[in-house]
Amino acid sequence: MTTVTTGPPDPSTAAARLEASGVTVRFGGLVALEGVDITVPAGAMVGLVGPNGAGKSTLFAVLSGLLRPDAGRVRMGGEDVTRASAAARARRGLARTFQRPELFSGLTVREHVVLADRVRRRGGRILRDLVTGGGFRRPSAAEDGRVAAIIESLHLEELRDREVSGLSLGACRLVEVARALATGPDVLLLDEPASGLDGRETAELAATLTRVNAEHGVSLLLVEHDVELVLGMCETVNVLDFGTVLRTGPPEEIRSDPAVRAAYLGAEQPPGTAREAAPDTDPEKERR
Amino acid sequence: MLQYVLAGLALGAIYAIASASLVVTYASSGVFNFAFGAMAFSVARFYYFLHTENGWPITAAAAVSLGMFAPALGALLYWLLFRHLLLRPPLIKIVATIGVSVALPPAVDLVFGKLPNTTAPGLAPVPLTVFHPFGATVTMDQVVNYLGLAVVLVVGVTVLRFTDAGLRVRAMVDSAALSGLSGVNASRVSLGVWAATTTLAGLAGILVAPTAGLSTDGMTYLMAAAFAAVVAARLTNLPAAVLAALAMGVFTTVVQRYLDPESALSAQIVPSIPFGFMLLFLLYYALRGRVRDEPAGGALDRAIRVEDGGAARTAPRAATPAGSPHGHRSLPTVAKAAGLVAVAALPLVLDEYWAGLAVTGLALSLVLLSYTLATGEGGMIWLCQITFAGLGALTAAELATTYGWHPLAAVAAGALPVVVLGVVIGLLTLKLGDLYVALVTLTFGLLVQTLVFTRDRFYNYGQGVAMPRPGFAEDDRVFAYLTLAAFALIALFIVNFRRSTAGLAMAAVRWSEDGARTVGLSIVRTKLLVSAMAACIAAVGGGFLAMNAQAAMLDTYNVFGGLVWLAVLVTIGSRSPVAALVAGLGFHFLPGVFQTHLPSAWAEVPVLLFGVGAIMVAKDPDGVLAMHARQLRGLVDRWARHRPAASPAPLAATASASEPTGGERP
Repeated sequence: MTTVTTGPPDPSTAAARLEASGVTVRFGGLVALEGVDITVPAGAMVGLVGPNGAGKSTLFAVLSGLLRPDAGRVRMGGEDVTRASAAARARRGLARTFQRPELFSGLTVREHVVLADRVRRRGGRILRDLVTGGGFRRPSAAEDGRVAAIIESLHLEELRDREVSGLSLGACRLVEVARALATGPDVLLLDEPASGLDGRETAELAATLTRVNAEHGVSLLLVEHDVELVLGMCETVNVLDFGTVLRTGPPEEIRSDPAVRAAYLGAEQPPGTAREAAPDTDPEKERR
Repeated sequence: MLQYVLAGLALGAIYAIASASLVVTYASSGVFNFAFGAMAFSVARFYYFLHTENGWPITAAAAVSLGMFAPALGALLYWLLFRHLLLRPPLIKIVATIGVSVALPPAVDLVFGKLPNTTAPGLAPVPLTVFHPFGATVTMDQVVNYLGLAVVLVVGVTVLRFTDAGLRVRAMVDSAALSGLSGVNASRVSLGVWAATTTLAGLAGILVAPTAGLSTDGMTYLMAAAFAAVVAARLTNLPAAVLAALAMGVFTTVVQRYLDPESALSAQIVPSIPFGFMLLFLLYYALRGRVRDEPAGGALDRAIRVEDGGAARTAPRAATPAGSPHGHRSLPTVAKAAGLVAVAALPLVLDEYWAGLAVTGLALSLVLLSYTLATGEGGMIWLCQITFAGLGALTAAELATTYGWHPLAAVAAGALPVVVLGVVIGLLTLKLGDLYVALVTLTFGLLVQTLVFTRDRFYNYGQGVAMPRPGFAEDDRVFAYLTLAAFALIALFIVNFRRSTAGLAMAAVRWSEDGARTVGLSIVRTKLLVSAMAACIAAVGGGFLAMNAQAAMLDTYNVFGGLVWLAVLVTIGSRSPVAALVAGLGFHFLPGVFQTHLPSAWAEVPVLLFGVGAIMVAKDPDGVLAMHARQLRGLVDRWARHRPAASPAPLAATASASEPTGGERP
């Protein structure tokens, strides 16, 4: 079992917003994750990198409750949520985005944010509209304000009333982030949020996430092929390889670690060239 | 016992041929062929035309029917319809094939004449030769069935395994996209597959005609039985389908050994066996975990396929005008209001006959609203809404007649047990893919129809259970307005649902369950809510249909009749209450027009038109109403653009039309 604790220099496990310990997942004979430990402390930005097939998305599925591990525990705020559903974890303050955006194709950008905001604020009372004729009422000014603020923060104003089915991949990723932020999360899991974004959009996204982290204390766990982005944003980086945590540490250590370079960047490859291996980020080429 | 087993193998052989046809078409094209029964009927009817009506020898009639007519029919249907279905979502595929099943038999009847009786010879010469192996009795018809299956298996395996054509078909099954990139002409291969599988359908139809009769009912039963075997084989496993079909045939005949042939219950149990078989397998799959009906193809096919994140959605809308909930293209409000006023005036201006049709159409519109909610909004392909309507009608009639309840109270109370059933079915189908959901609900409907609706106490020689109207609404006109009021109330409820947070939640669940979960939505609660509401609306609609007819006549609630209702609704538009109204009225007015003003030989034409309409859905999945709404909006926009720029009114109107709606719609 790999046992590595991440986060600020002296993290308290009790204070961790999200913590996985000894997580193992098998698909038949294939071991996707084996004894993985990872901790996301309150207010921290933690990175998770690794080559294709390392198990990053599987770990995200376990953390968000979409996949139940064969062994190990997941805790939120110290409370065991291993058996809690994804919806229950979301209501506790866990939000996520997906590598392949999971959007509601028939809804507009604004409707994504509105729905997430209402689920957060009304909990199980979203059915009340049904019996009180809420469908015919205008939204409250407060709701309008919250929704507009999130949309503006991600520069989605021009797209707010467009159905997401016609949007570019990059725009879809931003919509996912907007929807996740609208749930008012304590922890936000981001699965390759910069994939499909151009340089400017990536920089803006990074700035937005940094601001959300700083202003609202939202903890971030970031999976990203753009290693430079991860190393630039996160104070702690975990390297996953063949289903186990290979290294954990601050960006400088990870950047210079020979084992990491051998496993992830390639032994012959100098640091800083990882973006060459990153997916094409031309949004025009990645239109859905 | 040997006698029963041999008879069962003969029956199973026909099921196996039918199953093989269904599996091959599904695996190669992703289309689950609900038109199988109609295809089998058409070829068998053509064989009957040649052999019985024109005296052709069996061999010549069979050769022309199976060697020329059936492949030509398959190729024609491929060219007209199936080639357009490749990238369509499940609902459109299902509705389009239902359209063929509805349109084909009346078309064949128009050409060859409607048969006065249903007895038909098979491929064995009459009188039948009888054999006695090991003391059992085997007829020549049964021997032909064994030989038919053997020929199909030998030829099928030889072609698929050892020929270039078979290699191309297998490549297509694996990945149509990659085989196309490798130079395989996918269209030609698909055309060949449809020609071959229509031939198999025809063979099964001819073989089953001596026992099940040459009728759409007989062929439909054959199709339902074949469905059971295909479901047991998880839709794509050909050897498993053949084995399951044989086992089901043997079980069906062997079980009769232990049933009292004079018992009414036996008469209900035997036809229910395939449905019970299918339900058992589906429940087994559901309990084992998530079962998806992934369409045929490989990774590249999935990548280029129109995204189908939800269940039964129609095609994506590239340029949907803002202002319409979830991208729904609705008619302009003025057009809606004018339409409602026109409908409200119908009982006043029409004579007794046409007013009667209008009331019946209104009552049907109520039931169709349940499809609007379940399929149009919820994306759930439920094929048993008509059964819910029948159960609601039956329960209400029992409460009103036997227990003396007020009819409206009986209709409301009659919906309650149906809601429970809806929730149970919703729970059982939570983890199933769209096609499996469609099959579970179809099977549930067939079981209820066979085991409940045919009971003497309820069926009552076709008269059903009496159902009075409320005392104040005994007059047709008053009852029409009562029905219209109920329709308006439920339609408003649906519009409110669509615009409410619950409607947003349903849309979210429909498009991406994982996305919905991570927002904090409960998939179970959301789906069950829609299941319960849709079942309730169907039951209330059934109660109104019964009050209109003044009896719960259970022939009205035939499951395959429900498929026609669904096809008509989807043709007009599955997401609009106005479409439900138009569909309900059209369903009764159109036959009325034909019966009143056209020759009686054309009586089947309306059904044919309904079927053709459903086939057209393959080209315009949004439905006729949305298509005309688009045209109307285009006209209005053009008119607005051509008005003088100084005039502010049209500009304001245009701005208003494109005003964003967001979560709360105006």
